[in-house]
Amino acid sequence: MALDRKIAYIDLSTGKIEIKPIPIDIRRKFLGGRGLDAYLLYNHTEKGIDPLGPKNTIMVSGGLLTATLASATARTHVMAKSPLGGMVGSCNMGGFFAPELAWAGFHHLVIKGKADKPVYLWIHNGKIEIRDAKNLWGKTVTDTQWAIREELGDDDIKSLVIGPAGENLVRFANVMTGIKNSGGRTGMGAVMGSKNLKAIAARGTMDIKIAYPREALEYNKRFIDQITSAKVNQTQGTLGTPFIWGATNSWGGIRCRNFQYNQQLYCDDIEPEAIDEACTETIGPYHMTGCFGCQVHCRAKYKIPTGPYAGVYDEGPEYTSQGAFCGEPDCRSLETLLVGNHLVNQFGMDNLETGSLIAWAMELYELGILTDKETDGLDLRFGNDEALLEMVKRICFRKGWLGDTLAEGGLIASERIGKNSFDYLIQVKGVSNLHSDERATPALALNIATASRGSDHLRSRPAIDLYHLPVEVMRKIYSSPVPYDGPLSSEHTEYIGKPWQVFWHENCYMAVDCLGICKYHTTFLGATLPNFEDWSKVIYLNTGLEFTPREIWDIAERCNMIERLFNLREGLKREDPYRGDLLNHRYFDEPTRRGAPDVVGRVIDREKFRKMVDEFYEYKGLDKEGIPKPETLKRLGLDKEPSHLL
Amino acid sequence: MGIENEGLSTAESLRKTRTYGQVRCHNPSCMGRLQPERGAKQVKCPVCGCEFRVAWVKEGFPRIRGPVWDVNKRIAEEAFERKMKEEK
Amino acid sequence: MEPMGKVLAITPEKCTGCRLCELVCSVFHDGVSNAARSRIKVVKWESEGIYVPMSCQQCQDAPCMIVCPVKAISRDEALNRVMVNHDICIGCRSCVAVCPFGAMGFNVIDRKNFKCDLCDGDPQCVRFCEVKAVDYVDANQVSLAKKKAAAEKITAAQRQAVALASESH
Ligand code: SF4
Ligand code: SF4
Ligand code: SF4
Ligand SMILES: [Zn+2]
Repeated sequence: MALDRKIAYIDLSTGKIEIKPIPIDIRRKFLGGRGLDAYLLYNHTEKGIDPLGPKNTIMVSGGLLTATLASATARTHVMAKSPLGGMVGSCNMGGFFAPELAWAGFHHLVIKGKADKPVYLWIHNGKIEIRDAKNLWGKTVTDTQWAIREELGDDDIKSLVIGPAGENLVRFANVMTGIKNSGGRTGMGAVMGSKNLKAIAARGTMDIKIAYPREALEYNKRFIDQITSAKVNQTQGTLGTPFIWGATNSWGGIRCRNFQYNQQLYCDDIEPEAIDEACTETIGPYHMTGCFGCQVHCRAKYKIPTGPYAGVYDEGPEYTSQGAFCGEPDCRSLETLLVGNHLVNQFGMDNLETGSLIAWAMELYELGILTDKETDGLDLRFGNDEALLEMVKRICFRKGWLGDTLAEGGLIASERIGKNSFDYLIQVKGVSNLHSDERATPALALNIATASRGSDHLRSRPAIDLYHLPVEVMRKIYSSPVPYDGPLSSEHTEYIGKPWQVFWHENCYMAVDCLGICKYHTTFLGATLPNFEDWSKVIYLNTGLEFTPREIWDIAERCNMIERLFNLREGLKREDPYRGDLLNHRYFDEPTRRGAPDVVGRVIDREKFRKMVDEFYEYKGLDKEGIPKPETLKRLGLDKEPSHLL
Repeated sequence: MGIENEGLSTAESLRKTRTYGQVRCHNPSCMGRLQPERGAKQVKCPVCGCEFRVAWVKEGFPRIRGPVWDVNKRIAEEAFERKMKEEK
Repeated sequence: MEPMGKVLAITPEKCTGCRLCELVCSVFHDGVSNAARSRIKVVKWESEGIYVPMSCQQCQDAPCMIVCPVKAISRDEALNRVMVNHDICIGCRSCVAVCPFGAMGFNVIDRKNFKCDLCDGDPQCVRFCEVKAVDYVDANQVSLAKKKAAAEKITAAQRQAVALASESH
């Protein structure tokens, strides 16, 4: 049974390992995955600890439905205090690790302390062993995984690993699995590195009993049909996530030259069709791959067709890599895109953060805030492909003054660089914005400003806002499972109704993250995809646990509030430019110049933005400062946190 | 016959029932339905004047690949000037 | 024409490597999620992006059937499959050793061998595989040539896979 999967506490300082069941009342409060991790984070870290010190605790988990029948139940979640912004650190990745962890008997790992030399964890059918990682240290992401298989003599082992970036404590190092499944954003790889934890290897053959196997199979079939029949997923299954680039860059929603423009011009060579052609040429007509159980298969396989890396195999590049290695630095070569993607995959480094920080440095170089002295002679102009790729390497290995400085992340780097460099840093809570430009889309702007792990599109983005859905359709989506009769607008440039949408999506995405399902299988990019009602059924058929859609919503709200409590404890202030629910001033001051005619000339209106935040806080039960009201905590059963139940 | 149909995936068979031949203008508040000529490389929106490069996934199935740079860039620049003037 | 039943046809290059087939196979037969119990297994060369789903070929002159010392394995012509009778099976694993495709599994928990039974005519792996890397095709309607080509493809892919295995990690 999914419900008999265990939680393990591993102290790397003492070597002590403790294994416990996860009580059912905890499941009823936090489900599992990200939600339960957030509870554990709040309960197992002290206020103000150094994120890269031994007192940080790192959680690794699968969701409640991992490896069961609910379309793609592949996601692994990792959480700790973030070394990037000091707020909630959290990453989520696909692949095959979480199912293997669940078959090995575990849903949650709580890892504390620091090993005195490099180690890795070996988790096998209910047992956990701390092993010497001397021979793994220094290895790239894939080499580490293959070496573990060889050492333990089992090709079916799945591992979560860090690459050189994690070892070098790059503050936005990823946790990785497979060729390119990336636990990105808030530097969870650096936290692993700081603990001398190179990898977590899992292999399991323990049954997960399905509560109603035949019914679960039938329902899963329907679930999958619902997911794969969505046009968006069909496109995604053909072109991968790069398909999003097409329309987004065309209407003007891509950051270019850091934040100077909202569209990259003349970039024909890195458009989704061009990537697809390269994949077809080097791999063949069937070049898509997927995560565990997934029928969307959104990931392309490719070999680098030209240049010094010609013939090297990798997967992706995702939409985010187009932004990181093309849009933001304004580079337009396919080879740069494919090589850049390959480098960060092998280093285990966040593509968005890397591209965003380099583009920022390029702008500073153009402005003379950075000079050849700081770049060690590197000509860091926009559009210089070679300098871009060189900088990626320098960051990973902390080479040169600027490489070492950018490896510290934007907040620390801006202090070191000084002058008014911070004004140009496009970040929220220390995390660089992804490559999208939200000046024409207030709903999306509110999303990144208020996302718990810092600027991020996977916490609450109402991406379907761009589809101009009829209000009746929106009403249907947004008034379930809790009633909403406030205003809604089909116009993506509008401000009204957006706070509710962001609130709704925040709870929707938290719920999928608790279940361990991929976001492409919920109301993220497609309006007709499953959400609360469907989950209530799949949870029941797979685990036998009964939750009403409303109860799932309440759990999601509770889990989001725990993340908020953590952030507040660590210094979140509403309008603090470093640790706030705020955007860079350029969103409000610099009008967009490119894209579709009704997109140009737009800024986010300061006053209207404030009102949106007010309204969003109200839905969440926060006061004007963004602090939960006592009655909210009571309603969510969080008035006695930390409660140390687990 | 029979075999060919059995070989179709849900996605594949659904694709067959889709209305191909049309795309939507990328100007978000326009979103006009555009029907490029068979095999055409470009299409122009009759409503807002934007022009797009068209990629053909297969015969009868167009997809907007991106803007016709020079045209849409000019339209954007004009719109920008106009809006900045209006603000003053 | 003699009734030949249907055959499981595998096209490795279509496989996305998702392993849903493994999941649904184990749930359908054992009521549990456990890839180790699946009758189909996706063999992967991840560093090259090659995935080869492997299952029982329901061989005409099945080596497992021939090697079985107690004749527990027989052909079920109606469904064109090779079946194990567990009342007779003594658990000696000769069939596991002899199967050239590794399609005869042995479950250490139940101490029983297990193999693909074509889900009694409604193969779940086929039903769930959207890209139809595994397909269930009517042998009557497939021309001999096509069948041969399919078989060749599978063995070619397997040969390629073996060759790759020896050169990569
Ligand atoms: S379900 Fe199909 S695509 Fe997925 S692993 Fe199995 S054979 Fe391959
Ligand atoms: S188990 Fe192996 S030997 Fe026996 S019929 Fe299947 S493929 Fe042939
Ligand atoms: S046909 Fe049935 S038993 Fe055979 S591999 Fe497929 S799902 Fe398993
Ligand atoms: Zn138009």
